[in-house]
Amino acid sequence: MKDLVYLVPLFPLIGFLINGLFWKSMPKKISGLLASVAMLASFAVSLGIFFEIKNNPAAGGVVHLFDFIHSGSLHIPFAFQVDALSSLFLLIITGVGFLIHVYSTSYMHDDPGFTKYFAYLNFFVFAMLLLVLGANYVIMFIGWEGVGLASYLLIGFWYKRKDYTNASKKAFIMNRIGDLGFLVGMFLTLYHFGTASYGELFPKLIAGLPEGVSGNTMNAIAICFFIGAMGKSAQIPLYTWLPDAMAGPTPVSALIHAATMVTAGIYMIARSSAVYNLAPIAQSLVAIIGLATALFAASIALKQYDIKKVLAYSTVSQLGYMFLALGVGAYTSAVFHVMTHAFFKALLFLGSGSVIHAMGGEQDLRFMGGLGKKMRITQITFLLGCLAIAGIPGFSGFFSKDEILAAAYAKNPVYYYLGLAGALMTAFYMFRLYFYTFTGSFRGTHEQEHHLHESPAAMIIPLVLLAILAVVGGYVGLPEVFSEHHLLNEYLAPVVQNFDVHHLTHETEWMLMGLSVGLIVVMILLAYGRTKKPDFKENTGIAKVLENKWYVDELYDNVIVKPMKGLAVVLDKYAERSGIDGIVNGVGRLVSWGSNRMRLLQNGQVGTYIFAMVVGVVLLLAVGLLIVG
Amino acid sequence: MKPLIASAVFGVIMMFAALSVKEKKTFTLLATLLLVLLTGVNIYELMHIMNGEIPEALFNGMLKYGSFSIWFNTLMTGIALLYVLLCGKHIEKVGQHTGEYYGLIFFILCGANLLSGYNNLLILFLGIEIISIPQYILAGSDKRNLKSSEASLKYFLMGAFSTGILLMGIALLYGAMHTFDVSQFNFMEHNVDAMSLGGIFFIMVALGFKVSAAPMHFWTPDVYDGAPTPFTAIMATIVKAAIFVAFLRLFSETFGGISQHWTLVLSIVTALTLFVGNITAVFQQSVKRMLAYSSIAQAGFMLFAVLAVNATGFKGIIIYAVAYSVATIGMFAVLMKLKDYTYDGFNGLGRKHPLLAFTATIFLLSLAGIPLTGGFFAKYFVLTAVMEQGTGMMWLVIFALLMAAISAYYYFKVLMAMYFKKGEPELAIEVTTGDRFFLGLAAAAIIVIGVAPDILLAWLKN
Repeated sequence: MKDLVYLVPLFPLIGFLINGLFWKSMPKKISGLLASVAMLASFAVSLGIFFEIKNNPAAGGVVHLFDFIHSGSLHIPFAFQVDALSSLFLLIITGVGFLIHVYSTSYMHDDPGFTKYFAYLNFFVFAMLLLVLGANYVIMFIGWEGVGLASYLLIGFWYKRKDYTNASKKAFIMNRIGDLGFLVGMFLTLYHFGTASYGELFPKLIAGLPEGVSGNTMNAIAICFFIGAMGKSAQIPLYTWLPDAMAGPTPVSALIHAATMVTAGIYMIARSSAVYNLAPIAQSLVAIIGLATALFAASIALKQYDIKKVLAYSTVSQLGYMFLALGVGAYTSAVFHVMTHAFFKALLFLGSGSVIHAMGGEQDLRFMGGLGKKMRITQITFLLGCLAIAGIPGFSGFFSKDEILAAAYAKNPVYYYLGLAGALMTAFYMFRLYFYTFTGSFRGTHEQEHHLHESPAAMIIPLVLLAILAVVGGYVGLPEVFSEHHLLNEYLAPVVQNFDVHHLTHETEWMLMGLSVGLIVVMILLAYGRTKKPDFKENTGIAKVLENKWYVDELYDNVIVKPMKGLAVVLDKYAERSGIDGIVNGVGRLVSWGSNRMRLLQNGQVGTYIFAMVVGVVLLLAVGLLIVG
Repeated sequence: MKPLIASAVFGVIMMFAALSVKEKKTFTLLATLLLVLLTGVNIYELMHIMNGEIPEALFNGMLKYGSFSIWFNTLMTGIALLYVLLCGKHIEKVGQHTGEYYGLIFFILCGANLLSGYNNLLILFLGIEIISIPQYILAGSDKRNLKSSEASLKYFLMGAFSTGILLMGIALLYGAMHTFDVSQFNFMEHNVDAMSLGGIFFIMVALGFKVSAAPMHFWTPDVYDGAPTPFTAIMATIVKAAIFVAFLRLFSETFGGISQHWTLVLSIVTALTLFVGNITAVFQQSVKRMLAYSSIAQAGFMLFAVLAVNATGFKGIIIYAVAYSVATIGMFAVLMKLKDYTYDGFNGLGRKHPLLAFTATIFLLSLAGIPLTGGFFAKYFVLTAVMEQGTGMMWLVIFALLMAAISAYYYFKVLMAMYFKKGEPELAIEVTTGDRFFLGLAAAAIIVIGVAPDILLAWLKN
């Protein structure tokens, strides 16, 4: 099974090529079917690989396809890494990806770019699979860039609207800034270790700091990689693209936010755990940035009115938790949260898509309300998603978030209290969203109310499946107080080991759990009370700051974009036009003038020719015999 | 041995055919068949070598072939075949003696064969003369054209002058070494004196004259411009490549041990050649004359292979010779289709005759050394060969790259004319399907070499 791993990215690639090359002539039915079947086939192979590795962890390894770069001592194979970590990600990507494809066949049904959309979607998944499967940083980077490109194409899918294309450009540029960090980290790795392959690099590091490499170097490499992760996984200060990425079709948002793209940064750091374990400064930085992002984004989500914006900021916030987990060395907890988050966030996004579909494109909470009566299944599945993300015991989010918070407490109680504050905000804004949308009375136009309907089966079935996963997905990682066996940790143990994580006593763990659950319930009740009588007067004070997202976009615009543009104008005017153009044109004129003179040497007289030749030969002989000889 | 005899005999056959055959087309057909045969003989010989046979020395050790020389000959006969296929009907138009022209072309190949296998300075001299004398005739073959006659006479006068210098150099070396056999040359510090060095420099000047290196290049523009265009095409390519092989073998193998004594002079010659060729080409109005200067400039690059004095230089000259010859012959073939040889004659060709323009684009890109064409790897190999000898030649490599940048200007001017200017290009001759096919084949060859240059090197042993 392992040797068939190349099929996993191959299927979406084929889907992309067929849909992409023949997008003009493809019938809609076939293109959607083709893309979904490609995903299903990948999922089937992924399942096979997953169970093979589960039964026998030694079954994994590197699958070498061909030599990619071979130059001097630099050797970069095109190889895939098949192990517990990558096979788990394969399952999430192809599984959730497949459901999103199926959902899209219905959601995008009336779009003129239907086939093109599925080509992009397949390409996106292909790039993500390459990222996860690569057995060295270079292959990972190819996938990394491919994901960036695909997200650009998909966010700006409705390219006729200027603000949408701006959003896609923003996503691309923010990601490029991060990519630079990744590249520098990769070059540093190549420079210091001569290899970018995991199989060669990590064994050197697990034994401890290699000779001739200082701790500062490790920190530098780790921080560079983290900058890359900041871009892809939307952490402060590079997070602003993600909320804007909502411009794309809603299933795309689900794909970017749940199964792919944003988890790339988490995957990269979890994969590089050996590097981070030797880089304490970078680790603390990851934890602090993660925590800050979690709180910051959660606070913004409190006051947003766009249903997708709320979910977007909640994604940024949840990613912050994952980085917090990575930063305190609880790598498996981070991966665990990636998994549960993939389920409930995909569910929430597709649920919101279902709502937007029913509302005829309306995304503003202020014009919704009481939708539950008309769309019962969407309501119930959405509620399950909210319960999961809020961290109510029994639902998947509870287990993973609890694990992260426990690990944070063990490292530093301050991390725990701040993290808890973020979790409480999460509970509040998610239920605020839920109540505004599904309960109370309808606040939109009469026409919209008339149009309200439950979505078709192709949209509902993925919702139901995801809801089931969102509920039960947490049971693979029961906390120690419930069960001796943490299935996920045991599964990942051969690849990723947690670093320096202290185990809490059972009493402490019970206490922490009780505290957080109690407070979360209070927050849900608070949200219910606040939304019972909706009145949307204009926000003032801190609420207004939150509604405007702390004015970060404006800050970036004034501090970075505008001075850059100013500099560009100056350079264009003085350096470019009068400086460089002058030199270039001057050189051209000089050559032209020289040519015109040289031409005259060729006067057509044999005598002159021979004379010039003899003079030249005599001079050459003089040089050769007198100076050198 | 067999290819050498075959090329001489085929030349004679062509000469005799001229007595009995009237139809000009028949000559082209016959020449094509004989060239196919000659290529086959070369390949037969090559197979023997690849099977591990070591060819014996001939004529008391005066001729010695190795895989390099046989492979080079195979390539040159192949290119000659391409040349006849592309330019045959233009050769028919030149004058009344088509059979003789083809005969002379076979003698040129015979001379090239001698130059690739010589082991004795006398054979070197013989090869140079066998390759030169047919050119004097071919240059003046358009007898009613004054420019053609002038070119022939100029070439002959100056060629005779350089032959004198070559003989002088050989005589001096004989004085120093007491033998003509280059494999017995034994340079020691004590016998590197004015006599032997003088001999080396005289030979360098004479060979430099033949490959049109500055300051011995003055004949080139006048002769190339004046000679009938199909013959310019062969002078600028196969002849030049063959003399370069002799140049390279003599200086790398025989004089390589004392290279510190002559590389400075040769590097000055190289720099001058690059400078004169590229700078003067910029101001030309006629594409034919521009190609003459470009052939001087390209010779500057080929001189790098000689300067390198290592195995990479040999690989470099093979790739350079093929990439440059195919591109230049192709470019001349396109040029001959047009009535007007100036840049303006190309105006609007891209619209009117897309295939002509497209293949010309590939040939020009290759001459300029743009990646994905053979010309890129040609330049890459010869420059790398020099860099392998250390950083002492860095200045020359940088200079060469600057000059290559200038060359892009005059090559791209043709592209500009073809694609960006409006005009009604007039054809001198109809473009047939065969022309299109062989032009496409030549362009494809350029691309193949540009993607996988190793296919030209697979046949070299050591």
